[in-house]
Amino acid sequence: MNTNSILVVDDEAIVRESIRDWLKESGYDVATAESAEEALQMTAHKEFGVLVLDVRLPGKSGLTALKEIKAQYPAVKSIIVTAYPSEETTAEANRLGALECMIKPVAPEELEKLVREAIESLEKEPAVKPPAVKAPAFKKSAVISKRSFKTLVENLLKTTEVVGVKSKKGKYVFDHVTSFDDLRMDYDVTVNPPTQYLFPARETILKYDLTDFKKSAPVVDKSPRAIIGVHPYDIRAIELLDEAFITLNPDPNYIARRQNSLIIGVDCLHPSPKAFSPSMGTNVAETGFDLLLTDIGDTYMITVGSQKGADLLKKNVQVIEPTTDDIARQKMARDEALTRYRLSLNVARERLPKMLDDAYDDPYWQQRASTCLSCGSCVMVCPTCFCFDVQDDVALNLKDGERNRLWDGCMLVDFAKVAGGENFRHDKTSRFHHRIYRKGKYILERYGKTGCVGCGRCGIACLAEIASPLEAFNDIAEIAMNKQLEKTAESVRPEEELYAPLQAELVRVENLAAKEKVFEIKLAGGRELGQKPGQFVELSLYGMGEAPFGVATSPTRRGTFEIAIRNVGSLTNVSHTLKAGDTVGIRGPFGNGFPLKQFEGKDLLLIAGGTGIFPMRSLIQYVQDNRHLYGKVIVLYGARGPAERLFTKDLEAWQNDKSIEFHETVDRGDANWKGNVGVITTLIPKVQIDPKKTVAVVVGPPIMYRFVIVELKKRDIADENIIMSLERRMKCGVGKCGHCQMNGLYVCQDGPVFSLAQLRTVKEAI
Amino acid sequence: MKPKVAFFDFTSCEGCQLDVLNLTGEELLDLLNAVEIVNFREAISRRDDDYDIAFIEGSVTREAEIPRLQKIRAQAKILVALGACACIGGVNALKNNLKMDEALKMVYGNDAKQFDTIPARPINAVVPVDFYIRGCPVQTGEVVKVIKALLLGRKPEIPNYPVCTECKMAGNICVYELGKTCLGPVTRAGCSAICVSGGRHCWGCRGLVDEPNINSQKDILEKYGLSAERIIDKFKIYNTYTEVQK
Amino acid sequence: MTQVNINVHYVTRVEGHGNLVLNAKDGKIEKLMWEVPESPRLFEAMLVGRHFDDVHHIASRICGICSIAHTTASIQATEAAFGVKLSEQTILLRKLLYHAEMLESHVLHTIMLAAPDFLGVESVIPLASTHKDVVVLALRMKKLAYKLAEALAERKTHPLSCVVGGFAKLPDPAKLSALKKELLDAYKDMDVVVGLFKTLKIPDFVRDTEYIALQDAKEYAFINGMIASSDAPAVKIDDYLKVTNEFVVPQSTAKYTRNKRDAYQVGALARFNLNSKLLSPKAKKAAKELGLTAPNHNPYMITVAQVVELWHVLEDSVNIIDRLLEKGIKDEPLNVKPKAGRGVGAVEAPRGILFHDYTYDANGIVTKANCIIPTNQNHNNIQKDLEFIVPKILNKSDAEITLLMEMLVRAYDPCISCSTHALQVEIKR
Repeated sequence: MNTNSILVVDDEAIVRESIRDWLKESGYDVATAESAEEALQMTAHKEFGVLVLDVRLPGKSGLTALKEIKAQYPAVKSIIVTAYPSEETTAEANRLGALECMIKPVAPEELEKLVREAIESLEKEPAVKPPAVKAPAFKKSAVISKRSFKTLVENLLKTTEVVGVKSKKGKYVFDHVTSFDDLRMDYDVTVNPPTQYLFPARETILKYDLTDFKKSAPVVDKSPRAIIGVHPYDIRAIELLDEAFITLNPDPNYIARRQNSLIIGVDCLHPSPKAFSPSMGTNVAETGFDLLLTDIGDTYMITVGSQKGADLLKKNVQVIEPTTDDIARQKMARDEALTRYRLSLNVARERLPKMLDDAYDDPYWQQRASTCLSCGSCVMVCPTCFCFDVQDDVALNLKDGERNRLWDGCMLVDFAKVAGGENFRHDKTSRFHHRIYRKGKYILERYGKTGCVGCGRCGIACLAEIASPLEAFNDIAEIAMNKQLEKTAESVRPEEELYAPLQAELVRVENLAAKEKVFEIKLAGGRELGQKPGQFVELSLYGMGEAPFGVATSPTRRGTFEIAIRNVGSLTNVSHTLKAGDTVGIRGPFGNGFPLKQFEGKDLLLIAGGTGIFPMRSLIQYVQDNRHLYGKVIVLYGARGPAERLFTKDLEAWQNDKSIEFHETVDRGDANWKGNVGVITTLIPKVQIDPKKTVAVVVGPPIMYRFVIVELKKRDIADENIIMSLERRMKCGVGKCGHCQMNGLYVCQDGPVFSLAQLRTVKEAI
Repeated sequence: MKPKVAFFDFTSCEGCQLDVLNLTGEELLDLLNAVEIVNFREAISRRDDDYDIAFIEGSVTREAEIPRLQKIRAQAKILVALGACACIGGVNALKNNLKMDEALKMVYGNDAKQFDTIPARPINAVVPVDFYIRGCPVQTGEVVKVIKALLLGRKPEIPNYPVCTECKMAGNICVYELGKTCLGPVTRAGCSAICVSGGRHCWGCRGLVDEPNINSQKDILEKYGLSAERIIDKFKIYNTYTEVQK
Repeated sequence: MTQVNINVHYVTRVEGHGNLVLNAKDGKIEKLMWEVPESPRLFEAMLVGRHFDDVHHIASRICGICSIAHTTASIQATEAAFGVKLSEQTILLRKLLYHAEMLESHVLHTIMLAAPDFLGVESVIPLASTHKDVVVLALRMKKLAYKLAEALAERKTHPLSCVVGGFAKLPDPAKLSALKKELLDAYKDMDVVVGLFKTLKIPDFVRDTEYIALQDAKEYAFINGMIASSDAPAVKIDDYLKVTNEFVVPQSTAKYTRNKRDAYQVGALARFNLNSKLLSPKAKKAAKELGLTAPNHNPYMITVAQVVELWHVLEDSVNIIDRLLEKGIKDEPLNVKPKAGRGVGAVEAPRGILFHDYTYDANGIVTKANCIIPTNQNHNNIQKDLEFIVPKILNKSDAEITLLMEMLVRAYDPCISCSTHALQVEIKR
């Protein structure tokens, strides 16, 4: 082998020739091919050292060509070039050992560098004898006249069951075919998918005898059939079914039908107005069929996909050798078809899984699903749906029985219902949500194949016009984009003002305890701070700096807000010298605040230790002001000692508030103290709670969390119902300065309020 | 001991009972092997009042039918409502939309008083019903399915999803696309969408699914340019009683 | 002093609810009544205000056994009101569908409802052991009737595909071909049935009666023709009221009718008496074998006339299928435009002539409806027959008298719940 020899394969002459010229100038021996077929013909006679392959070629793809060339020459190096990058392409290229997957337009120096590296590595490797590999047994392309196709079909009709596309009431359906004249090869989309022949709506899988268990036996249908006119997106759907039914726990019924079905596909040249297969990468199919036809005028260009397909041609028709003209016409037909699609995805499809992740809890789903009839039409017409129910049926003689499987669908009301009556997806929002996520994410992650092939059938079938995953994906993409815009618009002021504090006046300063004071603040111009309970502000004292403080009042107490400061550092020292009437700066509010929606309808167990009472007070006030939204409310407060108790007026008021159960304790009592003595965890066993209905909120010094959580877990409260507000060194408040990082999280952005469930994987948290 | 089965008819067209008899010789023999038919006025002369399972066809449209029905309920361990009239009121309930006294007086003149007639109602409006075999008429297959389930001591599997599911499984073209109206989206399946397969549309004879999305259905009708009056009109053919209940 | 008190509450083995009451003292009849206490169903009232697309769908629910008859009569009434012309294919399909119902209804009645009396048992169930072949073939023929109806209209009870102007779905020729074969196979079953009826002893009572049925010049009429009477010249269907002359009686929620005499009979015997010349060859042969010649005035022979008609239905069905397959079944678009007007449809239900009379407004909404059911028309005759027969059998045992009275009612193959649909209703809105 001449390691210096390179084969460049690209159907675009300008690309092919320019690459050739660059490499030739560098001294390489370069040959070119304009299609995979041509490349294969060339490699059949000559061994090349390096292949530079375009992915999108007329006929077979560059990846398929690589696969086949490698079979003959395992040592060959390759560089993949493509204008349409995708996860699948990259994954496939890697699997085939390609050095790199470059995106067009290619930088010539880069390419040359890669080629050099490839050749160097080749020279280092011991000479490898190409294994005695058989050349592929069948030719991959052929042309037949349309009359020959008729002969082929008529011969099939004589020997096997034939199903194909027929016209029905102005639409198209797959149905049993008795005459060639009924067959339609130019349709846009069928109402029902061809997958029904491999996985029928109803199928017996077992037969049994009620009186004799030994007489039971599986039932498998091996009858042969030819399925004619399958569009590429449906072929891709079949490949998904292959993965689901064959790879793990091989399904005998599916396998029998699959093995006994001849699949004759046809390129979709006139797509339905609701189709979007190019967006899902499924408007072409390179495998999964026996024959694939492209209508190129008065003849069909055929891609042969299997030995079975090749034999079928050989036995029935006169095959014509395709010319480059035919290949060009095939390419033109496919390119033209591409222009006829009216719908497309507005976001790269590789981003769908993450995008769906981010939108999991978006209110969009409820609004979208509100008109759903749960009629099941979308799942019944979908080629990638394959959920089923299993039901037993017994004859009237109460002896002979069969076990049948029938199509079922996650969109149907009782799909997730269990015997006890619990329905795990009892509302249409959750069902709708599941289907879209399955199509856009779960199937791809589980089987490595796309879950939605963009056929458009569900969009047509859905009376409420909500079924199409494309619309949901595009809506979510738009919401994500708007959120991005919103986030920047969220700051009340223009960007330059991000670090500039607002002017505010100290309306009142009061002592709380030896080291703590409360400051009542009013923003200039009568502005409302607009804080959520649990958020914090940065108090700005020009010349001194800034420090974060939790807001201690609820937004329902309007006009002013309060922060409480403990005198521990230089800024806080200075703050304690301020008096009413002084001016300060305020930035914020920052942070996520308490998850108030999660609290609605629940019982609340609010546990505050020491200065944890500052942010907790905002929540308690909010709850009091919206009391009807919550169930039982228990407040537990612990201080070091009676003198360290903070907001004593509030503590007394809460003790007297009949709508709240209030307990407090001190770590160490004194002569006059008549209340509980002991750490705050001692209060927890004293209270009655229903763990299924209770959300616990904990705020306090770091050491407190560990022990309180132990007590809460003893009471069976779930991780997601234990909410904590954590403290870190917050400086900028806007997720930039980095000081508040906790593993991968920014406390000022992702917190300071977290649930225990979230923090289980955040090792630094508690 | 074979369970004793009885068939009773109230106000009905007796089509459901007739379809129960649409069995092959073999099926009839199997059935007679499995149960003892002790009362079936339309087909046999024997009339026993000792039965375990009672099938009731028809709705209640006369005062005199109420005690008769209660007596059957007291006797039967299991009561099965057979057909739309018994399950949901059916076509019989159409007369509930008329003003009864006026209609009767016009029809029978002074003899009107002799005719005992009350607004038609389904069986479960008078006595508790254990199982429902729906449709107008019922499908023999479903009757056999329920009988088999009762014999095996299990609950029969009756769908709770709309007719659309079965219509699509049957490969039908949606009639909305053909410019017609259809009650499929809110009607309970189990009939294999036979009416659409027969070239027509769904009239809702099997009654509504448990949680029909009526609002959505109304929006869809407007979208397809079909008037809500026409749909309510069609809906009332079988579901007058349901409508009145709402 | 001998007293006979017979009270049959809800006669069995008939469709619908009817009572027989006989009180006699010392050979003198004090009360002899055929009562019809069926619930009034008020169908004609329910049809008012309905769109023509739904009318036949609702009218079908008047009766479950003869739903095809009601559907056909209803559709024909609407077609008469709108002036709709029908294609030959539609007419053939309708006749074939009609035969399916006639086949099922007659098999049900002759073998499963009436024959048990002649064989001394109380239902077909014991016959499943003693006359297993007959029961099996009866079920087979019933099934065939269902299959034929299903091939044409998707379902037999309350048929689906027949609509105003034609059929919403056309049958598969392959299915019709297969059904023809089954119909031909049924010929040997018919031989067994005729053989059976030859052995049965039919009670012998002759009462001169007026007979009324549809009559056509070219064929044994079921869904076309004029109203013929044994007593008078034929009348156009539109003038049916001149023939039926309904009136109310206290013991019945159904009205009675009379024409030239104080009662008349409709049904298989009426059809036979008026049209026997047009029966199919094997039907004529069976009539001879069974001793049935026109005119026959024995009401117990209605059942035998039905057996004869079964032959005709089988042979004619085969002929119709041949014609359909020969012509080929073609897609025919339905194009019906409503018109204001009145139309009458008349058909021969298995148990007699049936009329549907509708008046429509320009939007195709019913403003008035009238239906006259065959059993309505027979109630009066049943009463008169009882009054004739009972005095002659008073000397027999109570059980025998009861049986003969019940057998008389059964012979008419009554469809009682149809007959109490109610009458001309004018709802002023």
